[in-house]
Amino acid sequence: MAACTRGLKNLLTSIKFCRTLQFQDERFLCTSALRFANNEPPKFVPPSKPVIINKTQTTASTRRFLSPEFIPPRGRTDPFKYFMERRDMVRRRKALNIPEFYVGSILAVTMADANASGKTNRFVGICIQRGGRGLGATFVLRNILNGQGVEICYELYSPRIQTIEVLKLEKRLDSNLMYLRDALPEYSTVDPEMKPVPFSPTGEVPVNKLKVKMCPKPWSKHWERPQFAIQGIRFDLCMTPKQMEFVQKKYAKPWEEYDMLKEYDTSKLEEQIFAEVQQEMNK
Amino acid sequence: LTALTGRYWQTCAGHTGNIKVCDSSQLVGCIRTVKIPTWFEEHLTEDNQKYMRHSMAEEYRRQTAEKLCPLKDEPWPRHEWTEGSRRVGLVAIKLGMAPIWTKSGERHAVTMLQVQDCHVIRCTSKEEYDGRSAALAVGGKNVSPFYRSEKAMELFRNAGVPPKQKVTIFKVSDNAIIKPGTPLYAAHFRPGQYVDVTAKSIGKGFQGVMKRWGFKGQPASHGQTKTHRRPGASGPGGDPAKVFKGKKMPGKMGNVFVTAYGLKIWRVNTKYNVLYVHGSVPGHTNCVLKVRDTVLPTRRSTLLNPPFPTYFTEEEGDLDEDLYSDDLFVHTEPSVTLS
Repeated sequence: MAACTRGLKNLLTSIKFCRTLQFQDERFLCTSALRFANNEPPKFVPPSKPVIINKTQTTASTRRFLSPEFIPPRGRTDPFKYFMERRDMVRRRKALNIPEFYVGSILAVTMADANASGKTNRFVGICIQRGGRGLGATFVLRNILNGQGVEICYELYSPRIQTIEVLKLEKRLDSNLMYLRDALPEYSTVDPEMKPVPFSPTGEVPVNKLKVKMCPKPWSKHWERPQFAIQGIRFDLCMTPKQMEFVQKKYAKPWEEYDMLKEYDTSKLEEQIFAEVQQEMNK
Repeated sequence: LTALTGRYWQTCAGHTGNIKVCDSSQLVGCIRTVKIPTWFEEHLTEDNQKYMRHSMAEEYRRQTAEKLCPLKDEPWPRHEWTEGSRRVGLVAIKLGMAPIWTKSGERHAVTMLQVQDCHVIRCTSKEEYDGRSAALAVGGKNVSPFYRSEKAMELFRNAGVPPKQKVTIFKVSDNAIIKPGTPLYAAHFRPGQYVDVTAKSIGKGFQGVMKRWGFKGQPASHGQTKTHRRPGASGPGGDPAKVFKGKKMPGKMGNVFVTAYGLKIWRVNTKYNVLYVHGSVPGHTNCVLKVRDTVLPTRRSTLLNPPFPTYFTEEEGDLDEDLYSDDLFVHTEPSVTLS
């Protein structure tokens, strides 16, 4: 046994020796060849620079997201007023990290509260609505605690908000989930001790194509009517197709599609504002 | 296109009034007097119109540039601020409203007013004006000279200033008179100070008594015949046997000058000349307003050592871009922690 190991060791050392000899010979051969060729000292050829490819994140794939409150509403106000508001919004965003989120994502917000123990108050809920423009932008979080439905409307730029974390980033089929008030409670319950679900900053935001089951009618609003244009409710369980067709036909406004005064194309404005905001944030 | 004033003269049987009826048959109908006979581009070619506009814009820029250093070209003697002196105000434009928060987390709404091209137009001394106080005419917002009458243009030409949309008169104490042509900036007001804002309220047209005066009207049901929004009784009965003057009745509502008193200034932006004023202000967005120091006695004490007679950029040029009131939450600070 000992003999075998000793033999191996000798073999290894001899191999190493041979390898080094080989390399030395090569280097020697290389330089000597040049020397014999040019009769000058060999020029120093620097090694080629290593190219670092960041495979984790490329600029083309990071999501371009502009928070909806930056887009000004259509009206006769001077765009200068929105410019002044945007400066303040960017200043606040530099002090507090307001993450990207959509209606349907699950958020946890800690707010300063004089009457709470520890002077802060943490609330976890699903975002059902994002309203307002400019500094007064708000979002409503809904949760069911001890069988009681609770909705809290927070102002994004209020100084009382200390942190906003996104526990689960996802989109839903609608941009307004107010119908969850009339849906079965299981769809609005969010575990307050939920762990954050990891999500990537690149690629598409996952769309949850969940269709929600509703409580029996009457509902707080006539969600089946075409003015709400809701995709996320299981209407086939609540009403017959004939009823649905009747309601869609009666309350339809087919002329709105051709109403030119209702058109508001924000694409160019969005690009300008996005570029401006990115520049300010990176300063 | 032409500026026309239409006056309708009606002859009716019992109507005497102030109208001198010379020949009743000829006066039936409408007599229109034309204020400006031709407009500036009527007889000009397109090139000339462009040139006129271009040259006017250049003229404006030259005039504003000339007036940028008022303390350098023969200013009038400056006096110190004393207890009872009143200083000039400004002409501003209402931009819109925004929320602000205090350091204790309370939210208030403020109106943003921008001071655009405010210049002093004319100074009338105490004797000329009314014998009690001197008056300064101040103009706001530049407008096109082509639609202004010669008489108005003369005023602006004397001051060496582009024509303004609104010219208001501020009654001022004798030690606060300023040379015509001086530009006025938003830094004239400081945060923590109180102001009064005057503007023409939004016109509502002919309105009924419920909207105009807040009458209660009548019930919607229980037998009311065609009476739901009517004024009801118009006064006491047989003793006066008349309706008193000034009785609240339906009529044109709005489009009158309204003043909002005692509005606190929360923030002043010296770079863009924007004032953040507490609460709401009469007038529609982008309307021209008159802003002056408060007349309220309880709020005058906050005005200690203001820039007198006005703020000059050459003198106090080193102000920060944003001046904040003491209890205002600045957005660059970390979040508020209540205790």
